[in-house]
Amino acid sequence: MSLIQLDDVGLRFNVRRFGRISFKEYMLQGLFRRSKKTTFEVQALEGINLTVHEGERLGIIGHNGAGKSTLLKLLAGIYPPTVGRRRVAGQISALFEISLGFEHDASGWENIMYRGYLQGETPQSIRAKMQPIADFSELGDFLNMPVRYYSAGMLVRLAFSIATAIDPEILIIDEVLSAGDLAFQAKARERMKSLMSRARAVIVVSHDLASLSMLCERAIWLDHGRIRMTGPTADVIAAYTNQVNQGAHRQAA
Amino acid sequence: MTGYFSDVWRLRHFWLALVRIDLRKRYRRSVLGMGWSLLQPIAMMIVLCAVFGQIFDVSVREYAPLLLSGLTFWAFIMAVVLQGCQCFFMGESYIRQHPAPLAIYPLRTTLAAGFHFLVGFAITLAFVWALNGFGNLPALLSLAPTFLLLFLVGWSLSVCMGLANVLFQDSQHLIEVFMQVMFYLTPIMYKPEMLTTRLQRHHLAWLMDLNPFAVFLEMIRKPLLEGQLASTSVMYHGALFAILAVLTAGLALKRFEKQMIFYL
Repeated sequence: MSLIQLDDVGLRFNVRRFGRISFKEYMLQGLFRRSKKTTFEVQALEGINLTVHEGERLGIIGHNGAGKSTLLKLLAGIYPPTVGRRRVAGQISALFEISLGFEHDASGWENIMYRGYLQGETPQSIRAKMQPIADFSELGDFLNMPVRYYSAGMLVRLAFSIATAIDPEILIIDEVLSAGDLAFQAKARERMKSLMSRARAVIVVSHDLASLSMLCERAIWLDHGRIRMTGPTADVIAAYTNQVNQGAHRQAA
Repeated sequence: MTGYFSDVWRLRHFWLALVRIDLRKRYRRSVLGMGWSLLQPIAMMIVLCAVFGQIFDVSVREYAPLLLSGLTFWAFIMAVVLQGCQCFFMGESYIRQHPAPLAIYPLRTTLAAGFHFLVGFAITLAFVWALNGFGNLPALLSLAPTFLLLFLVGWSLSVCMGLANVLFQDSQHLIEVFMQVMFYLTPIMYKPEMLTTRLQRHHLAWLMDLNPFAVFLEMIRKPLLEGQLASTSVMYHGALFAILAVLTAGLALKRFEKQMIFYL
C-alpha cells in the first residue's frame, strides 16, 4: 500500500528581489507598467513522481540547493504544489527547523507542554511525556528558567527531545542528527533509530552518505529540482559520488 | 469547511496555551500585575473625564460610563487590528514547521484581546452600578449575542489584517492612519447625538450608519448604560456587518492561506 504519492508535482517560487513588496510599490507598478519587475521565479521542483510504500525507508541526496528540503516540506504539507497532485494516507511527523518556535518568555517546562500540543498531544497525554522529555534533554533545573536564557546547544537539546517524543506514522527528517554535544549526539542517534524503526515509513534527507546507506534501502537523487536517479541506495550513492568526483576532476584540470 | 474547523478545534490546546502566554506576559510584566490593567483604563477615564467632561459640559455620572465603555470597546478593536497585523509573523516559526490551519493565529490574537475586553467591561459595569444603581438585567443578557458577533468580527478583522500585512508590508501604516480616522468617526469619547448632529449639518449622517464600529458600540451601550435593548434595526445592522466580515475573512483565507508560507 502506498502511503505517499506525488504525481508529476512541480513547485515554483516567486522570489522577491528586495524583501517584501509594499502596497505603495504594488500601486506604482500598476500605474507605471514599465517599472522594474520586483519578483523573479524559481522552479524549485519539477516533474516529481514519487511513491512511498508501507515500511519503506527512503533517502534523498543531492547538492545544496537541489530542492531536497523543499521536497520534504512539500511532502509534509507545508508547501502546496504549484502543479501536480500530492496524496498522503496517514499522519505525518516532520523534524526540521526544530530549534525554531519557542516562546522565549515561557519556561522550558511550558515550552514542552505547548510544543506537545502543536504535535497533537492533549493535556492528559502530554502529562505522561513531560518527565521522559525532560530526562532525555538532561536540562534539569534549567527547565524552570525562561527559554530566553538558554544557550543554542540547550535549545537544540530541548527541541530535539520534544520533537522526537512522538509515535510517528510517516516520519520526515531533515538532517537533525547533529544535535548538541558528542554525548548527546550518540543518544540522539539512538533515539532516531528507534523512531525510524517504529514508523510506517521514513523519508530522510542527509549529506551523511554512509549512515544513509545503512538506514535506507531506497534513495533518490535530486538535481536542480528534478529526480535524476532513483533505485537501491548503494547504486544511487555510487552514481552520485561518481558525478561529484568527476566534477572535482574537471575543476582541477 | 467543517474539516477546517475541526482542525482548528483539534489544536485548541495549542492556541489556548498561546493565549495564556500572551495574557501572562501582559499581566506579569508589571508589579501590580492584574491590577495594572484594571487601573489603566480607569486612570485614562479620570483624565479624559476631567478634560472632556468640561468641554462637552456633561456630568461625570453620565460621562464616566460612556467613556469607559467606549475606550474598552476601542481598545479591543485596535488590538485585533494592530496585533492582528502581526499575528502570522508571531506564529511564523510554527507555520514553517506544522501544517496547521492559519486561522488559529488570528484566533489567538482575538481571544487575548477579548479577555482584556471582558475585564474592561466588568469595570465599566461596576462603575455603572456604583453611579447609577442596578440596571435592567434582561437587557444585559442581550449582550451575550452581541459579544459573540463582536468576537466573530474581531477574528475576521485579525485574519484580514494579518493577511494584508504579510502580502504588503506597509499595510499596517495605512491601517493605522485609517483607524485614527475611524476613532474620530466613532462616538467613543462623545455621545452619539453630538456626532450625528454635526454630521447631519454636512449631510454626512449616513457615515454613522455605515460605520460598523459605531453600530457595535450602540449595541453595547444601549443595554449597559440605559438598560434598554438596542433597536432591532441596529441589531440587524450589527449582524449584517458580522456576516460580511466573516465572509470576507473566509474568502481571503481560502484564496491566500496556501500561499502565505511563500510570503513569510
